[in-house]
Amino acid sequence: MHWLHTTGRRGRRLAAYAAGDLSGPERARAESALAGCPGCRHEVEAYRLVARALRATPRVSLTAAEAQAFWPEVERRIAAGERPRRLPARPALREMLWDHRRLGLASAAAAAVLVVGLTLGQMSGWLHRGSVPSNGVEVVSVEPGGDAPVMLFQAPGSSLKVIWIFEERPSVWEVIR
Amino acid sequence: MCKYRIDHDLERLRIQRRRGIEPARDHPEPEDDRALVRRAQQGEREAFATLVRRHQDRAFNLAYQMVRHREDALDVAQEAFARAYTSLPSFKGDATFGTWLHRIVVNLAIDSLRRRRRGGETPYDDWRGLPEEPDGELTAPDDPGMALEAKQTRALLARGIAELPPAQRAALILREVEGLSYEEIARAVGCSPGTVMSRLFYGRRRLRQVLKARLADLR
Repeated sequence: MHWLHTTGRRGRRLAAYAAGDLSGPERARAESALAGCPGCRHEVEAYRLVARALRATPRVSLTAAEAQAFWPEVERRIAAGERPRRLPARPALREMLWDHRRLGLASAAAAAVLVVGLTLGQMSGWLHRGSVPSNGVEVVSVEPGGDAPVMLFQAPGSSLKVIWIFEERPSVWEVIR
Repeated sequence: MCKYRIDHDLERLRIQRRRGIEPARDHPEPEDDRALVRRAQQGEREAFATLVRRHQDRAFNLAYQMVRHREDALDVAQEAFARAYTSLPSFKGDATFGTWLHRIVVNLAIDSLRRRRRGGETPYDDWRGLPEEPDGELTAPDDPGMALEAKQTRALLARGIAELPPAQRAALILREVEGLSYEEIARAVGCSPGTVMSRLFYGRRRLRQVLKARLADLR
């Protein structure tokens, strides 16, 4: 397989070479590879035209009036000091995912696993270990109660007890399926 | 990054020379900038005014290349200097004043673009109003046909740039228009050089697709 055809990096290498961003051995390697790859040369030419077009973008200057009024306006803004500052716009989710696609996918997968795991773990804990860790309320007793399990909760230091009756529902796995 | 390492100074000078930009290290003199920054940090408003006058045109051009809207570009450039002034106490001088200013301009321009996109406005609304003066390899002032082609290419390019996410646009403009190295771009936009490379690639690839028909004509 051709060096420049290495999956995933081919385009980057071509674009970087065409823009003059490769140096030394990488550049030499690209040139020798290009010699036997007409398709690659075609792409390099396309990237070069893009680079030339970008570099030929005309520069824009302030008009004389704008240039003269520039510093006074900056000074006015400095003096205003407490001017209302707009919060910086956060990057769109699409942009962040674009830049960090693998990281984004991995994070989403990890978050999904965590949420499912915690949910299942908590539900399992309620039903089998007899305690609810998040708010300090303790399960005093669990009565299977035939079709409807009954749980008795009590907060530490309180005489108040709460009775929960669980109606029969499909299991978690049945719900997920 | 070593695979993509370039001789940054030479590359930057090469691009700047081709574009007719005076290298930042020659004009203004970095030493002068540093001295002015020190004086401005001590409260000398006039020293900061001198810095503004020196860099205002370049800051405006960078802002314009990013937002493509004259009034917005002016606002971004002026706001960048105002913010630079209030942030002067934290400026350590690790980078040049110009590079530091680039960062502020780019960030404000990106904010401006994102606000406009969220507000439902066209992000690049005066791309048709690109400056007419010929400048660069694509223009051929002596040949009306070629000049027209160059103008059409520029219009296509502007339309393609308009569709790029702001971060990709910033990377492309800083690299191809301002002639900054990957590392300088990374510092200016606050990301890693690898991310810069990635943004450049996707931006170039998108522009190549936009110019595809044009490329076929030119072949």
